[in-house]
Amino acid sequence: MSALLEATQITKSFSGIRALDGVDLEVAEGERVGLIGPNGAGKTTFFNCLLGISPQTTGSIAFDGQDLGGMSVHRRARAGIGRTFQRIELFSDTTVREHLLIAERIRNGRGSFFKDLIGLGRPKPDEIAAADAVLELLGLEALADAPIEMLSLGKGRLVEVGRALMTEPKLLLLDEPSSGLDRSETEALAQTLREVQAHQGFAILLVEHDVELVSSFTERTYVLDFGRTIAFGPTAEVMADSRVRHAYLGDVEVES
Amino acid sequence: MILSSGVPQDIFRAILQGTPPGAVYALIALGFVLTYKTSGVFNLAFGAQAYVSAAMFFKARTEWDWPIVPALILSVFILAPLVGLILERFIFRHLRTASSVSKLVVSIGLTVAMPALFDLIASFTAVAGRTPSGIISGGNSVFYDPFGVYPFSRDELAQLVVAVVAMLGLGALFRFTAMGLKVRAVVESPRMAELNRIDANRVSAFSWALSSFFAGMAGVLIAPRFNTLVAPDFFGLVVVAVAAAAVGKLISLPRALIGGLGLGIFIALFNTFLPTWSKTLTWLAPIQDNITPAVPFLLLFGIFVFWPAIRKAPTASDPMAGVDPPPPADLAFARSRFLAIGTWVFGVVFLTTCFAVVFLRGDQFWVFVVTQAVVMSMIFLSVTVITGFAGQISLCQGAFAAIGGFTVFQLASRYGFSVLGAAFIGAALAAVVGAILALPVRRLGGVWLAIATLAFAFFFDAVVVKFSWVGGGSLLQGTRVPRPSLGPFDFANDKTFLALSLVMFIIVAVIVIQLRQGTFGRTLRAIQGSEVAAQSIGIAPARVRVVAFAVSAFIAGLGGAMLSISQKNVNYANNFSPTAALFWLVLVVSLSARTVGGAAQAGGAFALFDAIILRGAFLGWILGGADRIPGLFPISPKWRFVLFGLTAVQYAKHPEGMLEYGTRKSNAKVDAWLVRRGWATPRSGGPVPPDATASIDDPDPPIGLDPSARADAPIEAQR
Repeated sequence: MSALLEATQITKSFSGIRALDGVDLEVAEGERVGLIGPNGAGKTTFFNCLLGISPQTTGSIAFDGQDLGGMSVHRRARAGIGRTFQRIELFSDTTVREHLLIAERIRNGRGSFFKDLIGLGRPKPDEIAAADAVLELLGLEALADAPIEMLSLGKGRLVEVGRALMTEPKLLLLDEPSSGLDRSETEALAQTLREVQAHQGFAILLVEHDVELVSSFTERTYVLDFGRTIAFGPTAEVMADSRVRHAYLGDVEVES
Repeated sequence: MILSSGVPQDIFRAILQGTPPGAVYALIALGFVLTYKTSGVFNLAFGAQAYVSAAMFFKARTEWDWPIVPALILSVFILAPLVGLILERFIFRHLRTASSVSKLVVSIGLTVAMPALFDLIASFTAVAGRTPSGIISGGNSVFYDPFGVYPFSRDELAQLVVAVVAMLGLGALFRFTAMGLKVRAVVESPRMAELNRIDANRVSAFSWALSSFFAGMAGVLIAPRFNTLVAPDFFGLVVVAVAAAAVGKLISLPRALIGGLGLGIFIALFNTFLPTWSKTLTWLAPIQDNITPAVPFLLLFGIFVFWPAIRKAPTASDPMAGVDPPPPADLAFARSRFLAIGTWVFGVVFLTTCFAVVFLRGDQFWVFVVTQAVVMSMIFLSVTVITGFAGQISLCQGAFAAIGGFTVFQLASRYGFSVLGAAFIGAALAAVVGAILALPVRRLGGVWLAIATLAFAFFFDAVVVKFSWVGGGSLLQGTRVPRPSLGPFDFANDKTFLALSLVMFIIVAVIVIQLRQGTFGRTLRAIQGSEVAAQSIGIAPARVRVVAFAVSAFIAGLGGAMLSISQKNVNYANNFSPTAALFWLVLVVSLSARTVGGAAQAGGAFALFDAIILRGAFLGWILGGADRIPGLFPISPKWRFVLFGLTAVQYAKHPEGMLEYGTRKSNAKVDAWLVRRGWATPRSGGPVPPDATASIDDPDPPIGLDPSARADAPIEAQR
């Protein structure tokens, strides 16, 4: 398998402090990869480098054969990186379907200001059909016309996934999808994601606190601590690694 | 004689000359930063606060013949802090968690309402040419010249002394008193301060009182520089404050001080050297004549364009910010089909009747005011686009509209262009200017965009209008604009022109609705809903914002052109001044910024409120004759400012506008009644819970997104 995402020697400094120090990370097409680490390990920093929100100090990121250096956030999104948010980010004052429709319109690039002027800017039947197909995939069809203010957190997260899927991502970044969800909701979300992924075939990079979710969901895992990769490889092996248990899971053992 | 002559002496003189006003600017900047840091309020009403004290002092001195000291105590030491306390206690304390843009709108509402309210309560009217006097006798007639280069007037020395005392006092307060320490703690980190059991409310009240005291002091000190004591001059002060404060990224008190002083000296240096340059470069002359008022705006713009760091400056905000209620859904969501159609039919019938009456029976006056209402509605649609759809605050819609008006004046009356063609060229020109203006601050949006537009509005007002190729050189010569004619229609006839305005308004309104429902409007809604999420699906917010600005400027330009044509004159000072445009924003926002109907109602209110309500025409009609209007009428038109200004204060709570809020409530009641009678079915479609309308009506969302909160709790939309 060729690497879809290839981050090489990513270093990020904030006024002298190294938040990331030579991190390498690869995601192959269609793969499910986890990125874990204790608080302050640099997960969010890495995420922001990847998305272009706060680019790395040194190092390079290649995605789908393209160098992402200097590319703005929205252009990376158009290149095929979709994402969800740790704190839910939905468009207020819109329905669930409208979320997907606007994403579809941006993806297909058929919107133009002059079409809007003469009233041709409204959603087209094929766009509505595409949105409804994704809603069905996520089991949200009953909520299609609900204003997002009415949704539960779990459903809201699914809407985020749906919105990201409309952009036909090659890689879906999930930023702590379990936060705010209870165990059964997390499992339901993971199950839906697995099904959708099997259907669409995109890769997933999961940044997560919830070790259980990472263990059950991902094929490979990277572990960050103090801005360095301390372990990577097949998830089961990584979870058994003594350094990982010491740095990250040790706390869990003490608690339990 | 310290320095002999030549350039070094000029520089020295300029520094001396610039220091007294610089000291006052520093006072203003300090007061401004104080409230910005402690409560996150970008207080545009600062100028209005300065005006209130200055006017109080002036009234006490000239009308009541009070001596200086009691007048000063009343206006600066009692009234000013009191105003600050009232603002904090009754308005801003409740807005802690509001977004910075809503706080900005609230302060704009206050800017409009406060001076008018003071004038009405104190029955104060500015008398042209009666220059306010300073806080010392013989202020502008006794001079001292310690260095033999520049004679200081007593007023200037008083400004210096007061400013130095105030700054030393502030320094001592921060250094030696417990309250000062608390303020500093809150300024450093509000969250940390609260954790240390500092009562944020008391600190906030204290800093508002202190800030208002600074405003009052500065107002009284600066008043002698103005010819007449009017509020708009004081409003300009706030831009000075922002420019000075921007030097410290709006958050550093010492740097704001330096910024203020630097600004004063900078202006004096310019005034010293520009005259010599403009002898050789004649195009500089109009700039030179107006450089003093323009410098703060130029500086502010320079900072935006050439200092990229400022664009990354964090806006001071409460950690709890960002959890304000989502704007309620569109009205269409919340009412039954029956009621929707009913409202529509009623609206069409009512408006048709009104216009029919005006067309058939209206005399010249009524045709004129109705035309004004229609044209203003068109201008207000530009606010609907930029504020209602894009969620940005623009304070230079007046300048955009004026560009339209002046283009018609220049092209049609001076070069014989087709009038309507010139109107569209003017609109396009305004669009270009709008786009260029939005470029340097496109990534920031919010408060910074608002400042940039305010700076531009004042720059346009102080400099651009004065160019002969814009405002015709001298405003006294007039800026006459002809009426167009198109085929068989001659729009010199007022009624025909009203018809033309109406048609144009409808076309623009339809376009605005199309835009809202098209890709553009949906993209804007996405950005407003969540900028990061919009980016994550490939939307470029910066670009969309620039386009939104251009569209809004186009509409304003077209409306401005039509307004000038309708009045057969640009009438810049009356129609398009920065303060006039401030009132536009307040009107639209207080009624309903998000709907075309809101713009139309704002237009109606702008042109007709005075004529129908305040002059008693409506009451007279009910009572059956103009001679029966009670003696109470006419009511001062200043009440408009108070009424709508104070309504805009509600923006933070009801961003949809009071009119829409009211409509929503009554709609819900009518719908419930209809359902009871069996004439309408409860709104269905989608699994909206039965209490959906209730929660739309009363946007009281769960505050905060506690990760441990139950997952089935509704999510609050993060804006």
